[in-house]
Amino acid sequence: MDAPAQPMESGATTRARNGACWLVDALVAEGVDTLFGYPGGAIMPFYDALHGAPLRHVLVRHEQGAAFAANGYARASGRVGVCVATSGPGASNLVTGIADAMLDSVPMVVITGQVATGLMGTDAFQELDVFGMTMPMVKHGFIARRVDELPRLVGEAFRIARSGRPGPVLIDLPKDVQLACAAHLPAHAPSPVDAVPRPADASLHEALALISQARRPVVYGGGGIVLGDAVRDFRTFVDATQMPAVLTLKALGALPSEHPLNLGMLGMHGSRAANTAVQECDVLVVVGARFDDRATGKLAEFAPFARVVHMDLDAGEIGKLRHADAGVRGDLRRTLAALTLPCAAQLHARHGEARRQWRALCQQRARAHAARYDAPGDAVHAPSLLRRLSTLAPSAIVACDVGQHQMWVAQHWRFDDPRRHLTSGALGAMGFGLPAAIGAQMQDPRAQVICVSGDGSFLMNVQELATLRRYGLPVKIVLLDNRALGMVRQWQELFFDRRYSEIDLSDNPDFVAVARAFGIEARRVERAGDVGAALEVLLAARGPALLHVAIDTGANVWPLVPPNHNNAQMLDADDVASLPLATTGSEPTPTEDSHALPA
Amino acid sequence: MRYRLDLTLRHAEGALARVLGATERRGFRPLSVDGEAQPDGDRWHLCMTVEGERGEQVLEGQLAKLYDCLAVQVSPC
Ligand SMILES: Cc1ncc(C[n+]2csc(CCOP(=O)(O)OP(=O)(O)O)c2C)c(N)n1
Ligand SMILES: [Mg+2]
Repeated sequence: MDAPAQPMESGATTRARNGACWLVDALVAEGVDTLFGYPGGAIMPFYDALHGAPLRHVLVRHEQGAAFAANGYARASGRVGVCVATSGPGASNLVTGIADAMLDSVPMVVITGQVATGLMGTDAFQELDVFGMTMPMVKHGFIARRVDELPRLVGEAFRIARSGRPGPVLIDLPKDVQLACAAHLPAHAPSPVDAVPRPADASLHEALALISQARRPVVYGGGGIVLGDAVRDFRTFVDATQMPAVLTLKALGALPSEHPLNLGMLGMHGSRAANTAVQECDVLVVVGARFDDRATGKLAEFAPFARVVHMDLDAGEIGKLRHADAGVRGDLRRTLAALTLPCAAQLHARHGEARRQWRALCQQRARAHAARYDAPGDAVHAPSLLRRLSTLAPSAIVACDVGQHQMWVAQHWRFDDPRRHLTSGALGAMGFGLPAAIGAQMQDPRAQVICVSGDGSFLMNVQELATLRRYGLPVKIVLLDNRALGMVRQWQELFFDRRYSEIDLSDNPDFVAVARAFGIEARRVERAGDVGAALEVLLAARGPALLHVAIDTGANVWPLVPPNHNNAQMLDADDVASLPLATTGSEPTPTEDSHALPA
Repeated sequence: MRYRLDLTLRHAEGALARVLGATERRGFRPLSVDGEAQPDGDRWHLCMTVEGERGEQVLEGQLAKLYDCLAVQVSPC
């Protein structure tokens, strides 16, 4: 789309074409259709320019909601999410959502108002160095000190956010720059994204040589597959090579959940089949994954027999945590496409019988350790509910919050498209779910969007129920209420000798009444026998609706790799008696630290 | 291990702070920092020595990703 050349008119008043008007036109030219934000003093010229503009602005009720909604919009659509806030507290409220986008590689452009350039550095009212604050959590940041810089900065911001490994880019926009005359500036022309580097032939040969020697290969697929738009190539690669595959939290759906070679998620709450396969494999083919500690468990004992082939667009990830015997830097689509046929041919020619037995062993373990959905009793069993819901709503986009319920979604939802699973993976930010669901619904009004939340997480951004209501977004919320900060409670039970400290939420509000107070339909379900009907009523609701689900406070997420253990040392509920209580969790050594904290 | 870093940066707001911040956050302690803007004013040349336990490729890979970092070379010293 071209930017309109004339200043925009609203009612009887004609505004001069200032920096803010230029920026609004530039956003339109960049293809932005929706932005999420909240106004205030230092961003008022921008909001004035928005008035009457062909852009949909979603007024959230807290800036954190704006950042997470833009984040959810970007995750579900693959397009750049845009959020806006004023200086000072508006900008600082965005920070968690920006950090989440950085850690999960989500393309975003974040626009913050700033005090006028002459006041910057004087401790002016609502002056905060958001440029400095966000340095470690953005892909890049700019301060627009002069209106003439806007064309370059805006073009660069979108190009950087979209190119290579995506991420958030900040534009801090002083008020006088917004107000400065921009009549002389050219209409904005978006910059093309950077070309993705091709994998070097030599690195492909090394990878092929290693893979072709494998007797017990495993593919370890990560979020880079989705970011690199390589899901189809990944599936072709797995099908052609017939290597068993494990997936990270962010790659769930890169293979359909029922695919015969999909052993499930690896890591702390991964499947036994996935973790065992990785621990026993002789070649680990890593595709767009980064050896996150939640995935690897004790890194020094991760995949101890494996030689590693690591394919990634980001050269900084190759060899960062685990030596790569063969590293292939470049476009994952091209890498996978180039390796598929040669690997398949080599693998058919060599060690065919060994690999057939290995595959059969992996698949047999997957069957033996498959999750069960026949929990006795009348209490609602969250995994069964989620499994059932995923069958009733197979093409829904699911936005999760953080905690036990998030892990149950990862374990029990039947994903077949990773863009339909929105989860705060690397940051693990409670409060993500509801605003991310709003963003996902905004990018496709016809999509079925479900938010799965916990009683703790939900209250972190409960105010966004007002946004759901205002825009009539038909998001369905499933609130799994265990009257506790369940994931922390589980860790205190298992690793801190049952000293329950500040996890009790038994004084939760009446969530049904809360939802209704916002004008949202709500019901409660407390017995397993009522779940089916309750889910059907929920999904049939025309507008937004909430189902409040009472679950057992003591329910835990199983299986689990305890802190400082390797992924072969998974525990199930029956193994709890064997835990070395109070030594693992309560006295972490410095190197154990990252393993000694829950999500 | 001690390393010498040779960096060419854009002379842009925040470039130095980003490089120093990323270096420290990735586990390397700056021991000396020396640099100046090149005469044309749009580049910085920066030479640092740092010490740290992690491998040099880790640092080089992370610094190379910074938008304002146009070239980086890390070598043991
Ligand atoms: C913003 C934020 N604060 C704290 C935490 C630490 N944390 C991780 S899970 C969790 C409990 C979440 O409780 P709830 O939303 O009720 O989910 P449950 O585990 O009970 O399913 C906490 C406090 C976090 N991840 N994010
Ligand atoms: Mg809870």
